[in-house]
Amino acid sequence: MARDGTPAPRDRPSSWASRLPWARRPVHPVLAAAIGAGLAAYAWVAGSAAPFSRGAFLAVLIPAAVIALIACIRPPQRIPPPERLDVLGTSYWLIVLTAFFEWEASAYKDNSWPWHPSFTDLINPLMGPHVIKSAAILVWILAGWALVRR
Amino acid sequence: MPPIPTRAITIIGFVILVAAIFALEILARRPGSRIPTVGQWLGYLMRPKLGRFLILLGWWWIGWHYFAR
Repeated sequence: MARDGTPAPRDRPSSWASRLPWARRPVHPVLAAAIGAGLAAYAWVAGSAAPFSRGAFLAVLIPAAVIALIACIRPPQRIPPPERLDVLGTSYWLIVLTAFFEWEASAYKDNSWPWHPSFTDLINPLMGPHVIKSAAILVWILAGWALVRR
Repeated sequence: MPPIPTRAITIIGFVILVAAIFALEILARRPGSRIPTVGQWLGYLMRPKLGRFLILLGWWWIGWHYFAR
């Protein structure tokens, strides 16, 4: 404790991440808008890449590399995870997700498009329009950022 | 009444399951709900570094699977 009553740095309850200077600094609205516009532009360009092309591969590799780099070097302040999950409440998720993957696995195993299409077979035609694919890429990038904050 | 084609049954199954996922998330966001939100159970799974790595790998795989292929 310091003489003036303020707690010394070693007395303050904090993690190393919260001590980083950028950890609690709010993002300026102009900067946030610029980042949003940049991400939208990136998603638009990435959405124009032809499937199975080098450009399409790089389009999904670059955001992953950037997010991995941020997670390792400059991690944002994380949202504290729950100490424990309710067993009954979590079981609902397990039932639904297991059913989903079972339904998908049966379609994948049958390999009988178009009679028993997999989820991917149904989603791919929806991704045809450029604007839809770009929006989906933008949502995917934002989901990755949300995961890094968890 | 004509039989429902297999394709329609498959699509209906996916629609029901995706609707169930959204319904669970809405129910989880009610005050006092025992159901965890997607963010909560993902955060729980991401507590250990291995879980964090696997969840982020899964996120990347989704992007590769749907946008690069």
